[in-house]
Amino acid sequence: MVRRQPTDPPPIDLYASVQGEVSWFCCGTAWGPCSTTGKGACGTCNSGSLQHAWPNTSDACLAITHPDTCGVSLSRRTCGFQHKITALCSGTSVVTAIADCGPQTDLFCGEKSCCGATCASNRLIDLTPAAYSKIASLSAGLRPCEISTP
Amino acid sequence: MQGIAALQPYVIALFLVWAALMKLFSRRMRAQAGRTALARLVGSARAIPTLRLVGVVELAVAAALLLPPATPEEGAAAAVLSAGFLAYLAYAYAAAPTSSCGCLGAHSHPVDVRAFARAGLLCAAGVAAVWAGPYPLDPPLVTLGLVEVVALLGLSAELDRFWLSPLRQLLVRLRQPLAVRSPAEIPLEVSLHLLYLSPAYCSASAQLTSDVQDVWDEDGLRFVVYGARERTAVFSIPLAGADPSAVRVALT
Amino acid sequence: MTSRRQMLKSALLGGGAGVVAATALGSLGPEAAFATARAPEVEPGTVDPNFAEGRIRSIKDNTLLVLGSNMVFHNIRVVDGTSLWKLGPVPFDQAKPGDGLYARGVRMPDGVLAAESVWLNIVNIKGHIKNITSDKIHLDHNGQEVLCHVVSGKSVAVHSESPPTADLSMLRVSQHVQILGAWRPDTNEVDIATVFSPH
Repeated sequence: MVRRQPTDPPPIDLYASVQGEVSWFCCGTAWGPCSTTGKGACGTCNSGSLQHAWPNTSDACLAITHPDTCGVSLSRRTCGFQHKITALCSGTSVVTAIADCGPQTDLFCGEKSCCGATCASNRLIDLTPAAYSKIASLSAGLRPCEISTP
Repeated sequence: MQGIAALQPYVIALFLVWAALMKLFSRRMRAQAGRTALARLVGSARAIPTLRLVGVVELAVAAALLLPPATPEEGAAAAVLSAGFLAYLAYAYAAAPTSSCGCLGAHSHPVDVRAFARAGLLCAAGVAAVWAGPYPLDPPLVTLGLVEVVALLGLSAELDRFWLSPLRQLLVRLRQPLAVRSPAEIPLEVSLHLLYLSPAYCSASAQLTSDVQDVWDEDGLRFVVYGARERTAVFSIPLAGADPSAVRVALT
Repeated sequence: MTSRRQMLKSALLGGGAGVVAATALGSLGPEAAFATARAPEVEPGTVDPNFAEGRIRSIKDNTLLVLGSNMVFHNIRVVDGTSLWKLGPVPFDQAKPGDGLYARGVRMPDGVLAAESVWLNIVNIKGHIKNITSDKIHLDHNGQEVLCHVVSGKSVAVHSESPPTADLSMLRVSQHVQILGAWRPDTNEVDIATVFSPH
C-alpha cells in the first residue's frame, strides 16, 4: 500500500476571505519619492487607479515578500486579478486589480492593527492612494481589513 | 616608489579574488543578478553567464599578479580591468541609478561616490603596478599595504553591515539623538489611535466622508471633527488615560 | 473659540454618546439614497475619476489647479467641509503651488472635483534606517537616501498595536520601517508624522 505524503496546507485565501493589514504605496512616475518608482511589476501601476500589490504574483515576488515567514500562505494571483478589500471598522469596500508585487510581509511579521475590538495581523496587501482613500484616510497609514474575491 | 609599486599587485589581487569568488560561488548574488545594472546592460538572460565570465577573468588577472615573474603587462591588465569597471559604474549610475551594482556583494547597493572612489583607487593601483618589480617587503611597506587595504575596505558599501551600522548604532545609543526633550504636547496621532479603538468611532466610521477637518483641545478633552456626508461628526477624546469607551461622538 | 467650534462642542456635550444613536444615522430618505448612489462604480484597475493626484500649479479663490503625473489637469474645489492635511489638519491657506497632492471627492458634471479630503505632500515610504542623527532619520528607500525629520509635538512611533509614542529613541540603525509623513517639495526630505516599526 502506498503511503500518501503529507501535502502543504492550502493557501488561506483559497476558499475563504482572510483578514490582514492594509497599507498604501505610490507608483507611476509621480511627485516626491514616487518620482523614481516606475509602473510596478505589471507595468501598469498608477497612484490614481484602483489597483493593489499582492505578495504572491510570481516566484520572484514570493522570494521578496516571503509571507510564509509569518506563517501565512497565499494563493498565486497574477496581474489584473481582482480582489475586494473591506475596511474592518466601517465596512466600506473597494475592488481593485493587481498591478505590482508587495508588500514585504516578512519584514513586519506579527504586527497588529485594530479598529474597535477587531484586530488583524500581518501585512497582506498594499493599495494605491486612489483605492486606499476609498476605505480609509491616507493619513492613517495602516488599517485592518478583510480580503476576498468579488 | 619601487616599493609602493611592488605592493600594488598584492592589494589589487586581494580585491580581484574577493570579487571573483563572490561572482562564481555566491548563490545569493546569482539570484539577484537579474536586478543589477549588469542585467540592464546585457539582458537578464545573459547576466549570470556574464557575471561568471568576469569572475574568471578577475581570477586569472589575480593569479598573474600574485605569481612571479612580475611583468608590466600584469599591471596594465589590472589597470584596464579597473578602467573597464569604472566605465561600467558610470553606465550603472547613469542608466539605472537605483539598481544594485552587482559588484562585490550579494546585498543590493546602488552605485555611489564610494563605489567610484574604490574603483578609481584600484585603477590607480593598477597603473602603479606596471612598474612593479621584485622588491623586499619590509614592515613599513606592509603597514602601508594594510592601510591601503583598510581604506579600500572602508569604501566597500557591501561591508557596512559589519562595521558601519554597528558603529552608528553605538553612537545613537550614546548620544540618544531622538530622545524626547519636552513631552508637553500630545501628538494628534496618539489621540487618533485611541479613537480608532473606540466603539464611538466604529459606530460612526461608515458615515465619515473626509479626513480630520478640525482639532482643538479644551478641558482635558481633544475635539476632532470629520465630515459625514452633508453633516459633521465630532468626537471628544480624553487627553489623559487610555480607555476607548470614554470617547464620545455626535452627528450634527 | 470660533462659533462653529462652540456649536459642535455643545452638540457633543448635549447630545453626544458612546455610540452614534440609530436615529442620528438618519433614514434612507431620497437625499440619503442619492448621497450613497452619487458615485457610480469604477472599473477595478482603471483610473478613478473621483480621485486626483498631481502637483498644485496655481491656486485661485477656492480652486486648486493640479497637474497630474499623466499630464492631465484637475480643477479641485475646496469648500468648508473639505479636510486638508499637511502633516496634520491645516487651513486652506497652507496649500501652496508646488505641493504634491492627492484628493478624493465627487467629480461634478462640469469636470471639477468637489473635494471631500485633500492630502498635501503625503508620502508613505518603506525602507531601512541607514543612520540616526540629531532629530533626523536617514532612510534608504529603494536605493535613494531620504532625510526624515522628527517634528516635535507631531512625530510618533508605532510598534505594532502599542499606543503611539512621541519617543522615537527605540528605533535602531539597520531596521526596516515605514514612514508616513509630509514631503518637502523639490527635496529628498520628509517631515515625519508616523514611524511604523515592526518591533
